[in-house]
Amino acid sequence: MNRRKFLTFMGSAGVISALGTAKVAKAGVHTFPYYPNSYGVLHDTTRCIGCRRCEEACNIVNKLPKPEKPFADTTVTHTKRRTSAYAWTVVNKYQVNGKDVFRKLQCFHCNDPACASACFAKCFQKQPDGSVTYDGSQCVGCRYCMVACPFYVPGFQYDEAFDPLVQKCTFCEPRLKEGKLPGCVEACPMDALTFGRRSDLLNLARARIAENPGKYVNYIYGEHDAGGTAWMVLAPAAPAPQPADTKDAPKETQPHEDEFTQLGLDRHLGSQPMGELTYGALGAVPMIVAFWPVLFGGAYAISKRREARYKAEKEAHIEATKNDLAAAVDAAVRKIEETQGPGAADTARRAMTEALQAREAANVAEHGEDK
Amino acid sequence: MRNGTVLLLLAAMALASAVCLTSPGTGSAIAATLEATDSGAPSAIVMFPVSAKPNPKGSAMAPTVFNHLNHEKAVDKCETCHHTGDPVACSTCHTVEGKAEGKFITLERAMHATSIQERIGQTPTSCVSCHEQQTKARRECAGCHSIVTSKRDPAWCATCHNVTSSMTEQQRKAGIDGTLPREQNEILAAETVQAQKYSRMLTPMDGPYKVSIDALAKKYQPSNFTHRRHVSSLMEGIRGDKLAGAFHNRPEILCATCHHHSPLSTTPPKCGSCHTKDIDSKHPDRPNLKAAYHLQCMGCHKGMQVGRPKNTDCTTCHKARP
Repeated sequence: MNRRKFLTFMGSAGVISALGTAKVAKAGVHTFPYYPNSYGVLHDTTRCIGCRRCEEACNIVNKLPKPEKPFADTTVTHTKRRTSAYAWTVVNKYQVNGKDVFRKLQCFHCNDPACASACFAKCFQKQPDGSVTYDGSQCVGCRYCMVACPFYVPGFQYDEAFDPLVQKCTFCEPRLKEGKLPGCVEACPMDALTFGRRSDLLNLARARIAENPGKYVNYIYGEHDAGGTAWMVLAPAAPAPQPADTKDAPKETQPHEDEFTQLGLDRHLGSQPMGELTYGALGAVPMIVAFWPVLFGGAYAISKRREARYKAEKEAHIEATKNDLAAAVDAAVRKIEETQGPGAADTARRAMTEALQAREAANVAEHGEDK
Repeated sequence: MRNGTVLLLLAAMALASAVCLTSPGTGSAIAATLEATDSGAPSAIVMFPVSAKPNPKGSAMAPTVFNHLNHEKAVDKCETCHHTGDPVACSTCHTVEGKAEGKFITLERAMHATSIQERIGQTPTSCVSCHEQQTKARRECAGCHSIVTSKRDPAWCATCHNVTSSMTEQQRKAGIDGTLPREQNEILAAETVQAQKYSRMLTPMDGPYKVSIDALAKKYQPSNFTHRRHVSSLMEGIRGDKLAGAFHNRPEILCATCHHHSPLSTTPPKCGSCHTKDIDSKHPDRPNLKAAYHLQCMGCHKGMQVGRPKNTDCTTCHKARP
């Protein structure tokens, strides 16, 4: 196969595959179906006291291993703990405008989960009841879900030698099916967690903000963040700013970090689901996996076939030439035998054969062995 | 008789003032009984919802009486309220509809606004914003007032929007038009102030000594709530306070912080009559009984900055089961 042919193949293959990929990308701003009756939980951080009862209940309800430090020890909330495969929810202490505020962290059960968008084994599913469930039977342990999650929630069973799984809050889906509240919600002694339909919770949150002026930041975290989440958070408002007593006091130019950022919640996730950034590219993956091997395999097979045919033709041609030469030498030797006797004929044959061999050797030395 | 007209006028004025001073039952005598202010402003005035628009029917919010004397004593400078530096009536710039002089801030907002933007120099305050500042900053107030939010309820409004019943309809209309003579206004105000009596509060002895909160006791023993100690400490904190006295105007009003959402009574219903053990799906924002207790107790303690017990010291309030 020569250079020109190769470039033609590559070019056409590129165009075709590009067309295919473009079609896939256009086919979808893919969105998970929005479930209007899905459930959610509203976490009111002004009520949370950091007692860790939710953690304890989660541990018992989900039959997780006992932690090293007992749940009665509230000092562990002072470090910024993360959820893991064996602690599906954690409560941490944050400083909001100089005051201690506790916040619970668990899977937010996104409306359009990033973990599901990243999982090529389709282990994660957004259920109509609002939960994002995980089915480990297909899991290959790639942990792309952990990279994709904007809240760093899924945990991996690193200590499992055989079949380690990704673990995270299940929204107590089995309990919901039995008509029970999630373990943590039931255990909260402050009603800092309110369970309900997501649409009702939004109204409830707004009513709370309106009825208690100055108590809450006028923002419901999770209403739109990361495309909307089933678990939402209310944050306490800053206390009224101290009145400046002098006119010439320098105006406060320090940018005020908003309360949610101080609570460790990312306000820069945008209102678009994370998955929408990757559905186009990731949607092309199956196409590439299925189509490209056929395309390039085919191109390779065609060129290989051509080469084989070309070689066969060439060999046939060489054979014919050799036969012609041998016939010519024979004819010449017979002529010499008739005219000058057998001795001269032998000498001539030897000389001609040597000359031919020398020429062939020179040819090989010059062009190399024909492959 | 060249100066006849002038003389006649003088005579009429003399007669009028004599009548005014001597007529029985009018307020000059009453007005005189109120302590005078240092600034020379009237001791009390009635504030009418002054409107620039003609209002023949005189339909408007009930006027309020403003005790200038008490407020003058309570704030350090006139500019706290007279934020322009010019001691004129609020309704000069802030009318019911608002006008350009008052940057179209209506009288209602000027009196009730709470989240007021900080200004360079003098930041204006409204009645409500200044009172709220007090109730949030003072520990003795902040407990209850961090869990009680003011409501648009006739009983709450009437604390201020309440003027003596001897005000005639004509006086009211004149007040709304801004044409009520100043003396008459002062007479009405003085009468109202004198009629105001600090209501006699219930005493801690009227309530139970201890209350055993046992409706939920399962993991812990019942909580022995020292009812009388709590009530007396709250009452002690605001004893003799004029702001508290003026606004806590019904005997059972202090009880209503915890015994909320039910008519004022010395025998309020139990918490469990509304707050069910499990959350009520019909009222998702009504906390369940356990949370209701915790939110009330801890909400007040947080507001008052009570250091101990800590919110997570469960066994201080209800002992662990042996």
